[in-house]
Amino acid sequence: MIGFDLTDEQLEYQKTAKDFAQKEIKPYAAELDRRQGTAFDWGIVSRFAKANLLGLNVPKKYGGLGVNMLTAVVMAEELGTACMGIIGTAAGNWLATTCLSSVGNENQKKNYLPLCCGENASLAALAVTESEAGSDIAGIKTTAARKGDYYILNGTKTFITNAGLAKFYIVFATSDPRKRHGGLNAFIVDGDAPGLTLGTVVDKIGLRASQVGTVIFNNVEVPAENILGAENTGFFIAVQTLDMSRPCLGAAAVGVARAAFETALTYARERKQYGRPIIENQAISFMLADMATEIEASRLLTWRAAWLIDQGMDSTKASSMCKIFSSEMAERVCSRAIQILGAHGYTRNWPVEKYYRDAKALAIYEGTNQIQRIIIASML
Amino acid sequence: MIYKNIGKMIQKAREEAGLSQEELSSRLGYTQAALSNYELGKRRLYLANIEQIAKELNKPLNYFLEDAAEKVKAGQEKAQDETISEINKLLSELPPEERKNILEYIQWRKERLK
Repeated sequence: MIGFDLTDEQLEYQKTAKDFAQKEIKPYAAELDRRQGTAFDWGIVSRFAKANLLGLNVPKKYGGLGVNMLTAVVMAEELGTACMGIIGTAAGNWLATTCLSSVGNENQKKNYLPLCCGENASLAALAVTESEAGSDIAGIKTTAARKGDYYILNGTKTFITNAGLAKFYIVFATSDPRKRHGGLNAFIVDGDAPGLTLGTVVDKIGLRASQVGTVIFNNVEVPAENILGAENTGFFIAVQTLDMSRPCLGAAAVGVARAAFETALTYARERKQYGRPIIENQAISFMLADMATEIEASRLLTWRAAWLIDQGMDSTKASSMCKIFSSEMAERVCSRAIQILGAHGYTRNWPVEKYYRDAKALAIYEGTNQIQRIIIASML
Repeated sequence: MIYKNIGKMIQKAREEAGLSQEELSSRLGYTQAALSNYELGKRRLYLANIEQIAKELNKPLNYFLEDAAEKVKAGQEKAQDETISEINKLLSELPPEERKNILEYIQWRKERLK
């Protein structure tokens, strides 16, 4: 009934992701992290595109890799070991393509999914959050008013990954704010639509290489055929998309924790005090033992959530559990890694402080951990 | 949570239409087990599934979605309200007759507050 072996195909994809992470991401991670101002780099995007990793979960018939969720999380973990910021850019695409793949009609999928696939792939973005509608998505104020064959969008979205870079956005807006959940709709909006502009780019403590910012919609005309699903189904679409994206986030958390753990382990074996490696002190080795245990536990939660999705089962609770546990685990593991490296860990000469800054974001975005607890509690 | 609530609405609409799980599932081209899992909220429902079911049962799509969204919200608020969860816990430990008495008492209190 239970097996933890990956198939040959999954092992192959794991190796692809690992090689990509080590050769195409890791060497650039430190530089992009320290770049002042906008650190986003199109060069990295073209590397992702060449490996078709921007279309990781896009079905093959539209040009993507079409991997199932378990394979996607195995790959996300490997990518997470290299740089959470850089893969944040790709993850912005995965969110939008997950949404489009599950609710788009054939025309929408045919027109937009291929834009995220292959060598010339572009970026996409999911635009849900607003300044007054973070956790409470029913409070979205961006409006979509029907006018003939168009919807007219007005409003401002904040904290949008790939803001100002995306070829298209999936935008959540309300057609009737009084209806709250019942008035929400999701639209595909072209990145170059007149009236759509980039506001400020957020200056973050971590995930520096990922561009996150404000997107402003000022009388943006969206063709009526670009509405996703039927009218007023936006709430369902948002909930389902986020449920299905959380395992990849959990896996990336496992990846960054693994990177911090491996750095700390190597350091503890090499660093000598009182004439012997510090790992020979239980105070250090027990910390490493705890880190290894928690990483393993997180991976299993993540795999289970992904497995449920692949089986077509409801993964809501499992997805929230893997998101909470993995993100908090990553923060703890990164913090311990800094502790093990001592004064070196607190410098910018070692990567662990960056892992720590990046990991902190995981407990906040794609539904704060407090919201995840509300979801779990409501399902007990 | 959302699938469970939609599942309940599907069951309700199916029963109102006087259909058995076997009858509805064969009209939809699903196995009976698949429909049963949808009604129980165990399987993930895609929008396309809900649209198909809504059409077959002659209901607007939002019959399933709006109610489910409200219930999810109510469920989440409930989870935050410790008083209600404590009441629920104690209620579940009482025999059905006692629960009925308490319901009547609550209704009486509510009337008095008006």
